[in-house]
Amino acid sequence: MTERATILPGTLDLLILKAVSLGLEHGYGILLRIEQISGQALAIEQGALYPALYRLEHQGLLESEWGTSSNNRRAKFYKLTAAGRRQLRDEVASWERFASAVAMALRAAPGEA
Amino acid sequence: MSAEMEFHIAARAEELGGRGLQPADALRQARLEFGGIERYKEECRESLGLRLADELRGDLTYAWRQLRRARAFSLATVCILALGIGASAALFSTVDAALLRMLPVQRPAELRRLAWTAPRSGFCQSYNGSNWTGPNGEEIGTSFSYPVYRHLRDHATSFADLISFSGSERLNLAIGGEARLASGQLVSGNYFRMLGTSALLGRLLSPEDDRPVAAGFAAVLSHGFWLRAFGGDRGVPGRTLQVNGTPVVVVGVLPRGSCGVDPSWCPDLVLPMAMQSAVETWGDVLTRPDHWYFEVMGRLRREVTDEAARVEAERLVADAVRAAAPPEPYDLPRLLLLPGGQGLEDLRNGLRRPLQILAAAVASVLLVACFNLAGLLLARVSTRQREIATRLTLGAGRARIVRQLLTESLLLSGLGGMVGIGLAWLVGDQVARLFLASEWSPGVEIALSGRVLLFATGLLVAVGVGFGLAPALKATRLDLLPALRGTRGTADRARSRSGKVLIALQVALSLALVATSALLVRTLVNLRSQALGFRPENLLVFQLDPSLNGYRGARLLDFHERVVRNLEGLAGVRAASMSRHGLLTGSRSSDRLSVPGEEGQNVDVHYVAPRFFETIGFPLLLGRDVAWSDREEAAPVVVLNAILAGRLFPGRSPIGQRVTTAGRAVEVVGVAGDTKFDSLRAAVRPTAYLPYRQEPQSSMTFVLRSELPPVALLPALRRAVAEVDPQVPLYQVRTQVQRIGEATRHERILAWLLSGFSLVALALAGIGIYGTLAYQVAHRTPEIGLRAALGARAGDVVRLVLGEALAPVGVGIVIGLAASLLAGRLLQAMLFGVTPADPVVLLLAGAFLLAGALVAAWSPARRAMRIAPMEALRQE
Repeated sequence: MTERATILPGTLDLLILKAVSLGLEHGYGILLRIEQISGQALAIEQGALYPALYRLEHQGLLESEWGTSSNNRRAKFYKLTAAGRRQLRDEVASWERFASAVAMALRAAPGEA
Repeated sequence: MSAEMEFHIAARAEELGGRGLQPADALRQARLEFGGIERYKEECRESLGLRLADELRGDLTYAWRQLRRARAFSLATVCILALGIGASAALFSTVDAALLRMLPVQRPAELRRLAWTAPRSGFCQSYNGSNWTGPNGEEIGTSFSYPVYRHLRDHATSFADLISFSGSERLNLAIGGEARLASGQLVSGNYFRMLGTSALLGRLLSPEDDRPVAAGFAAVLSHGFWLRAFGGDRGVPGRTLQVNGTPVVVVGVLPRGSCGVDPSWCPDLVLPMAMQSAVETWGDVLTRPDHWYFEVMGRLRREVTDEAARVEAERLVADAVRAAAPPEPYDLPRLLLLPGGQGLEDLRNGLRRPLQILAAAVASVLLVACFNLAGLLLARVSTRQREIATRLTLGAGRARIVRQLLTESLLLSGLGGMVGIGLAWLVGDQVARLFLASEWSPGVEIALSGRVLLFATGLLVAVGVGFGLAPALKATRLDLLPALRGTRGTADRARSRSGKVLIALQVALSLALVATSALLVRTLVNLRSQALGFRPENLLVFQLDPSLNGYRGARLLDFHERVVRNLEGLAGVRAASMSRHGLLTGSRSSDRLSVPGEEGQNVDVHYVAPRFFETIGFPLLLGRDVAWSDREEAAPVVVLNAILAGRLFPGRSPIGQRVTTAGRAVEVVGVAGDTKFDSLRAAVRPTAYLPYRQEPQSSMTFVLRSELPPVALLPALRRAVAEVDPQVPLYQVRTQVQRIGEATRHERILAWLLSGFSLVALALAGIGIYGTLAYQVAHRTPEIGLRAALGARAGDVVRLVLGEALAPVGVGIVIGLAASLLAGRLLQAMLFGVTPADPVVLLLAGAFLLAGALVAAWSPARRAMRIAPMEALRQE
């Protein structure tokens, strides 16, 4: 089993938005998709996904509807709203700024400062 | 939410199953991976902002369970609150309709009612309408002559329009040959146009209707009358009716709730001013500049100030007055502009004081109920001390527990409020009707409007928080350890102190209520038991107005005489007579009367038939009664009452003397005893009695004294009138005793209601005292037992307990006495023969309260006395 990183607090929302932005998906599917797009490197506590989904929906970033899953069960599907798409764009940008800043800081060799 | 999570688990289990796990194991594994499903659900709900709603639902369920457990307490509380909130809502709906609401017309705030005052009013020979005394003793009137109105209407630039209208007119209305009495109002043609009222059916009056047309005058029906008389027939426009024998054509129907400018009554028919001489019996006065009979109201232009409009109107009235060249000395009238948006003041003036008193009383009862419930709740939370302490120890926030306790009290007040609103709906406009003895229907609708519901809701929340908050705060300020152990800490003492404050407040308010109702009861007794000067028993009165059927002059006078003679002939009638105004109806006429060569004085004048004094039962002291032979062509005569005779002719016999009244010399032929006439409150006034034929009046009040209860005579009486003319309807048929009842209506109703309220308050205070004391005795059992063991006697124990109980009662009585004096001042105008500081009333009320407190304290005190020392000590 590959070693898995636990996700940073606050990044779960971002990951969910990203996963949903790839297409209409239900909760379990979102979980799988996050694992898949992160190359199975990120572990998410499964139940914790749902409070985050409800929160995002309550904030108007996601919307949901009931539909039928691939194996013919009733499931709730999520998709991004316009506000969600904007939020994703903003957060991705700020994440990249943050990540590159941290990466640059960590690359610093003695004497550079 | 559950479905979604179940789907997740199922999907995961399926996948795990695909990897070779047994289905049961796969499911278990999936659940394990998912984590605590309930916890996540809760977090989800929190994400949705549902936590508050969830907790509230929990609180409500818990509160409901708590209240069900204490069923008697809850039921009593709900009943008390239902009465309090119901009474408040019913009262508020009346206050709202009668005192606060604007007229249902366009932009009512622009309306102004015109009034005038003048030291010498020689330009006004005859006045009819409202008048009152202003703050500086000046007489203020609101009626104008029609020529003055026309001049104003045609020349005023400050007003967009000006209307004129009469007071209520009694009409003899024939619909298809059937005669009945109806009320009417004469209005200028622009009346509805200025008010901005539109018709429900047909059309309303317009300025063209001021001119008569061949088919008859136009008439508009009020909504209520249309329903009553025509059953809401939509084909009514175009129908012809007879008003006092004159044909009128119904042109339209007013919408519901639209009654014109006077909220105190709703005219059945609104008629054009041009019909004045057909409706009113005093002939055509529209062209008379010296007859001031009609109200004037204007709509102020937006850009004009009140003062500018007033000055202009004053100038125009002065022009019109000067143009009429009055023969008598006069001063030009000073004009006043009164706000007209709420319509004429009569209804508000009649209801303001009683409604204020009732509102104060209801508020007091509600406050007593709140204090009482706070006390009960305080006792209840101390029995729940352990529960609360446990919850606090387990980490519940104080705010959380306060919220829980508030939910309970709000649930109680909510239930009480809902029942109360139901009660108020049942009461409807009965509160207003209690105080309005008018023969016409009121001109405002009193109903549970949105405003009333809002008020009631606000009230029930305020009440729920009001009686719940203090106990809740107290209850959560606990010493946890002793509370858990079940012994008492310091909080307990604080609680008993606030209990005492609550008792004192309840006693004070109850005392104020008891004292106030005692003042009103004494007023009522004083009014009813005073010497009237006549005997009201077995008197029957009724009114006839044959002038509505076209009787005029000698024919009218003969009609009246024939009716009296017919009545005298009836079996069982001892005596019959008549007078212009009935006794104790609040109506009177006055005129100036003078001895030649002396300054004249205002006296009450009554126009009577022979045997009037004998019939109503007051003595003729000197000389003779008026006689049937005192006819219009005979020498004018007058009978004076003793006060007037003594004033005009001190120390000598007035018989044969001459006085001047109504512009001619009159011979005094008799002196009658002094009697109250128009009002029970007013002292006997100097009065002159004139023979009815020598100063003709259109309507007369007939009075007869019977041997038996007079109601039995009614059928015979109607026949006796019908023999003269079956078309003339009887109205205002009463016994004189009923009349006195009506004259004391406000006082009686207020006395009854306030007595009821004070009994409720007293009962509540008693329950409060009992509850608090019983609780204290129960808690102090060990201490009392110890005292008894150490040799305290039963008397000492009783003294201890009663002393404890009566201290707050004493404080409450002192505060209550002060409050009674203040309340009495509010009442002053309604009192008769008793002052607010009446020592008997205050002493009795105080004693009453003290006795009530002793009764309430008796049983707990006795229980304390019987505490057996050994048992009590064993409890510790």
